[in-house]
Amino acid sequence: MSEIKVVANILHTNEEITSQNKQLLNEKGIYVINMMSSPGSGKTSLLERVISKLKGKESIAVIEGDLYTTKDAERIEAQGVPVVQINTGGACHLDGKMIKGALDSLNLDNVNLLVIENVGNLVCPAAFELGEDIKITVLSTAEGNDKPLKYPRMFENSGAIILNKMDLLEFTNFNKIEFYKDINSLNAHAAIFETSCVKDQGIDELCSWICQQVDNKRGGNVACQE
Amino acid sequence: MHEVSIIQNVIEIVTQKAIENKLTKINKVSLRIGELSGVMPESLNFAFDSCIEGTMLEESTLGIETVGALGECMDCNLEFPIEHFDKLCPNCNKFCTSVVRGYELYVNTIEGD
Repeated sequence: MSEIKVVANILHTNEEITSQNKQLLNEKGIYVINMMSSPGSGKTSLLERVISKLKGKESIAVIEGDLYTTKDAERIEAQGVPVVQINTGGACHLDGKMIKGALDSLNLDNVNLLVIENVGNLVCPAAFELGEDIKITVLSTAEGNDKPLKYPRMFENSGAIILNKMDLLEFTNFNKIEFYKDINSLNAHAAIFETSCVKDQGIDELCSWICQQVDNKRGGNVACQE
Repeated sequence: MHEVSIIQNVIEIVTQKAIENKLTKINKVSLRIGELSGVMPESLNFAFDSCIEGTMLEESTLGIETVGALGECMDCNLEFPIEHFDKLCPNCNKFCTSVVRGYELYVNTIEGD
């Protein structure tokens, strides 16, 4: 019997495809957001708001991940930006191969912001890189402030965290002090935004921040500034 | 988390390596799993037992070595153990942004005939 040293990354297939995706997206200078959250936290509503405010300034494309339906993609399409639907057929996360397929069917030439809306799930999407520049996790007040502690990896690996449905805060027992304390212990450098799509709260701040990131990736030109 | 797809990738990697090394039967597969990876050893064992039937790994056992999480302080370069909720440098009390170890997910060794 012989022992053989292997040292092979179990997720190597994803990482190989993802690094090809990343190379392509970098060549095109496209800033890529991987947007994650549990189902119903308001990813699509936020995206609708952000697109409606940014579409005159940025050229946006969207990849929508969903188990079975095209409901979210239809909402994004109504905003007048190119959108590709990925139906995972029950799989709980998007992976590099699915993104590659979606990129092939998008005209990336004039795009400078690509948002990938992941499948609603606070667990698995955190482990699969898609070639993004940043992971953004959305949490809604109605879900409770204990979620960062219960699902640490997603919050730990995010460059920005959006606390959404701020309009519902007063009707919940969400404790903002504990939320900030927990985020600080997990991921002290994440940018945090408080938003409400219903009340149009915090969306402008979020949009300017996204704009700034897009500009930085393009090499610091200031198309976003009014 | 997706333990079955992880094990399917493991079987693919191990089978490929076994063929390269002219093995016909695998006796043991050893994995290294980082503490922060979110992968449950119990679920991996369950998925392994279910998925190896009818493969070259059918009679093999699964060994799982857990890799502790280590962070590095960008200020003083100290490497120190971290947890999800404790990432402060013991020297300078700054938040660690560089995770050196803890997200590993790989096949380390195989044994076979």
